[in-house]
Amino acid sequence: MSVGIKSMKKKLLCGIVFFLLTLAACSPKSSETSPSGETKNQPFTVGAIPDQDPEKLQRLYSKLATYLQKQLGVPVTYKPVTDYTAAVTAFKVGDLDMVWFGGLTGVQAQLQVKGAQAIAQRNIDNQFHSIFIANKTTGLKPIQNINGLKELKGHTFTFGSESSTSGRLMPQYFLKQAGVSLNDFKGQVGFSSSHDATLKLVEAGTYDAGVLNEQVWKSRVQSGEANLNKVEVLWRTPSYYDYHWVINPSVNQRYGNDFIKKVQTALLKLNPNVPQQKEILDLFGAQKFIPTKNSNYAQIETIGRDIGMIK
Amino acid sequence: MPQIEHKAIQNSVAKTSTRPTLFNQRSLWSLFGIAAIISSIAQTGLFRQDIINPGGWSVFLHFLIASLHPDLSPELLSLTLDATIVTLAYAMYGTAFSVFLGLVGGVLASQVWWQSVFMTYSHRQFQPTAIAPWLIIRALLSIPRAIHELIWGLFFINIFGLDPLVAILAITIPFGAVTAKVFSEILDETPRQPLIALLSSGVSPPKAFIYSLLPQAFPYLLSYTFYRFECSIRSAAVLGIIGAGGLGYQILLSLQSLRYEQIWTFFFALFLLNGSVDFWSALLRHHLGSPNRLDLNSLKLQGSKRPTINRQSHLILFASSIGAIALLLCSFSIKIDYTKLWAPRTIQLLEEFIGEVFPPNINTTQFGELFNLSTQTLAMSILAIALAGLGGMLLCFPAARILLPGGVLNPISQSPHHWFWGTIILLLTRSLLLISRAIPAPIWALILLFILFPGILPGAIALGLHNLGILGRLMAEVIEELDERPLRSLQALGATSPQVFLYGVLPNALPQFIAYILYRWEVCMRETVIVGLVGAGGLGRLLTEQLSSFDYKSLVTTLLCFIVLTFGVDLLSASFRRLVR
Amino acid sequence: MSGTDPIFELKHVAKRFGKSRVLANINLQILAGERVALVGPSGAGKSTLLGLLNGTQLPSQGEVWVFGRNLARLSPSQLRQVQRRIGTIYQQLHLVDNLRVIHNLNAGHLGRWSLFKAVVSLFFPLEVETAAQALFKVGIPEKLYERTDQLSGGQKQRVALARVLVQNPIVILADEPISSLDLGRSREIMDLLRDMSEQTGQTLIISLHAIELALSHCQRIIGLRQGRILFDVPAPEVLPEMVEALYRIENARTEPIQKI
Repeated sequence: MSVGIKSMKKKLLCGIVFFLLTLAACSPKSSETSPSGETKNQPFTVGAIPDQDPEKLQRLYSKLATYLQKQLGVPVTYKPVTDYTAAVTAFKVGDLDMVWFGGLTGVQAQLQVKGAQAIAQRNIDNQFHSIFIANKTTGLKPIQNINGLKELKGHTFTFGSESSTSGRLMPQYFLKQAGVSLNDFKGQVGFSSSHDATLKLVEAGTYDAGVLNEQVWKSRVQSGEANLNKVEVLWRTPSYYDYHWVINPSVNQRYGNDFIKKVQTALLKLNPNVPQQKEILDLFGAQKFIPTKNSNYAQIETIGRDIGMIK
Repeated sequence: MPQIEHKAIQNSVAKTSTRPTLFNQRSLWSLFGIAAIISSIAQTGLFRQDIINPGGWSVFLHFLIASLHPDLSPELLSLTLDATIVTLAYAMYGTAFSVFLGLVGGVLASQVWWQSVFMTYSHRQFQPTAIAPWLIIRALLSIPRAIHELIWGLFFINIFGLDPLVAILAITIPFGAVTAKVFSEILDETPRQPLIALLSSGVSPPKAFIYSLLPQAFPYLLSYTFYRFECSIRSAAVLGIIGAGGLGYQILLSLQSLRYEQIWTFFFALFLLNGSVDFWSALLRHHLGSPNRLDLNSLKLQGSKRPTINRQSHLILFASSIGAIALLLCSFSIKIDYTKLWAPRTIQLLEEFIGEVFPPNINTTQFGELFNLSTQTLAMSILAIALAGLGGMLLCFPAARILLPGGVLNPISQSPHHWFWGTIILLLTRSLLLISRAIPAPIWALILLFILFPGILPGAIALGLHNLGILGRLMAEVIEELDERPLRSLQALGATSPQVFLYGVLPNALPQFIAYILYRWEVCMRETVIVGLVGAGGLGRLLTEQLSSFDYKSLVTTLLCFIVLTFGVDLLSASFRRLVR
Repeated sequence: MSGTDPIFELKHVAKRFGKSRVLANINLQILAGERVALVGPSGAGKSTLLGLLNGTQLPSQGEVWVFGRNLARLSPSQLRQVQRRIGTIYQQLHLVDNLRVIHNLNAGHLGRWSLFKAVVSLFFPLEVETAAQALFKVGIPEKLYERTDQLSGGQKQRVALARVLVQNPIVILADEPISSLDLGRSREIMDLLRDMSEQTGQTLIISLHAIELALSHCQRIIGLRQGRILFDVPAPEVLPEMVEALYRIENARTEPIQKI
């Protein structure tokens, strides 16, 4: 019996040692490969705030990555992230070289990375709107001006993501102007995490009303995904600056001095008359990209500070 | 019996023992506990505002129905497999590194080590010279433990970016500290005579440890390592929600786009993964003779359950080595770049991060809000553990093998009828427990947010459900390991099964249950922060807002508040546990 | 049931655990009021035999009749009816350590009590007087409200005895009740058992290592070796050679019993 225990212990010990050795042996191997070939072959990584269905984003950005790779002559990859904050952090840390940000996250990114530039936006982003929607069974009726938002008091309500410009920041700003505070709603205000989720939750009646960005709304109405028998538009907000591409200045050192310029040109060059490029623009919900600059977002920054999203 | 003798007996009884009152220390503490639970319920606003969102039922129903037809398309299945392997690999690396840290830290945090170094081991009392370094190491270990893996993960993302290292380090650091604490306690409880014999013949402490204490304690250390692996699997799944990849990440993505069929595919993968790892680990721990986490926690190592490795375990050992090899293969699937640990970029980012964090923003006007949120957080943890404890106690009995023919509550029946129903009930409750613990608490919270308004109630229920699964399983283990002899003797005098349960099972199991519940309460407290991140209330909610506005200076204040709260709960729980023992 | 009917009757009983045979072809009758000692080396099957008598184990072969009923034919509730008339004292005491002494004593009532009464008694101990009297008889009346795990080994053994007093059975089975006690304490406990049996006419079946105590306290001695009855005689007729044969160490000590 005692012999049995001894041999068993030995076997166990051997097993553990073997296990630790292989663990130790395998790890450096994987690390050998990466430091070499650092600069040129390192892909230009693009990302986006996850404001819509992750699946839709994947489809859209893999197409864009292929286009950019052809135009720029460097490998381009798309890396998805789970939330808005993670997108900003990944941009700051350098995991993402260029990100499609919303107004607020773009400002946060510009503030955190010195020299980060807003380089392009869609032709709709300088005149962007949010849409307040409601479930038809609630009896909420379309409103004529901002003061009509008071009708929402006593109903359940959901925003999109906490850091969304069109799904939270601007709507909250307009609600505040109409004299509606977040405590006026029934229960606590929800944060659905994306525009698509807001639409689905209001449609299903989880929340009486919600707010989402106009472009996503239009696109879902067009594709028939939004059920107009169940939801209706209450109000379209006044316009503001929203989505834009922000690029990290360090890419110039990596790929050559005029790289940012090249990326901007490639984006602006997207042509609705070329079928493949039209597909990308359609997925973005735009006719074309136009240039933009950091100073366009001063209003967003002011409101962001006011609501406490920028410190 | 003659009258006189009778009187004499009564007198003697009256003289020597009086009936103890019901108002003792224990009943007072129980009242205190009940009061705490009631005031926590009041905190949720259950009586003041709308809690349940009636509009959400249709979505919730939709979600449940989707479980009947999960998405089984080949693309999704291959994605699921990849995600499962990633989760497994994180858990694997996390456990390996944390055990290594734990071994080094455990030796340094043990009293017996410092007594050996200062040659004071022959004294009964712990000598003051040895106390100082021991205390310092202990204090150092307590801070990483107080912070949840997810917070560590968020910190590491700021330094390493989206990298497998984030998940692995986020598991390694807090788990390493916990492992070190438990290892040190195991070492301190191990009989010292062999060690002293070596030390007194002039062997240096490290060598003496390797030749006496470490081999003696080895089965316990190994057993605890397996338990840690179970925890790492759950932790690796949770880390997905900050973008670290794996199953948790995929579930969150699908949940955000409300694709229920996909969610269920991932869920089933998670059940399978958790179930097989738990089963495997429980089997090994059982054969190492220390099946019970509490044995390690309350340390009765010299007791009856000395580890025995018998001949029957050959097969199990064989099976487990195959399992270990499979795990190793999995771990090759993720590439880890260790050079990142000391790359210039890392150091630069760390410097920047520290610059952003310090000095912390301690704003006196915030104290009111912080205090308010702290009470909410505390209430959330109390409600969660009350739910988990009660549910666990209800489910652990049918989940233990006591009802089956041959079990202590059904000893002599052999009827196939009993076998059938016993097995059905056993499997049903065990899968219920598995489901509730396999789904990470934040995912539970997100599901609950379909039908509940955001606030501390969904958070508490989510935490409660997750911990219920863990507690129920641990409690079922307790019951299965109970000494059967007193129960058999009650049966022999004709007691019915409910009576055996009342006079035998319950009195022996209850103190262990309460100890587990208190221990788990500490864990619940740490986990309140992760349900807060998805919109349940309390300090976690504030933390999310500060994260999304990159207000790191205030975030540090919130974290400090959180650590103080955690230490407070740890202290309370430890003193309750001492009372129960 | 008349005095001459056997209380226990074993007919061709064998008991196997897996492959090893613990008892083989046991035939035995025990009458009311007898004081019987089971003696024999460790592993002879004494504990298993007692387990068969109180119905916690069923034979692999043969029949066990108790109070004129075949145990294998009884429903669980009928079995409990039989069991509440048999009190068992174990070697390892088998008390519930986390309960107060009073509850361990009241466990002796469980065969008669309703579930409701059992629950109530856990909070407000019932029938305290009976328990106190029993404890007085075994000599430790002051321990009534003590936690059982606070008691010494000898005190626990007394509590186990007192529980049987509370149960007030027709038969007392005792499985090596003194193996963990010193000689003085052993004698006290044996005296207590003998007195209980003499005063109330209860049948006593006790398994023992100490052959001297068996001879001095019991009327009938059954020698058990390797699962078989070696002798079954009145105490005065036990010869030294018989005892020697019973405990003789064979070279093939480890040889299993399957050969029988």
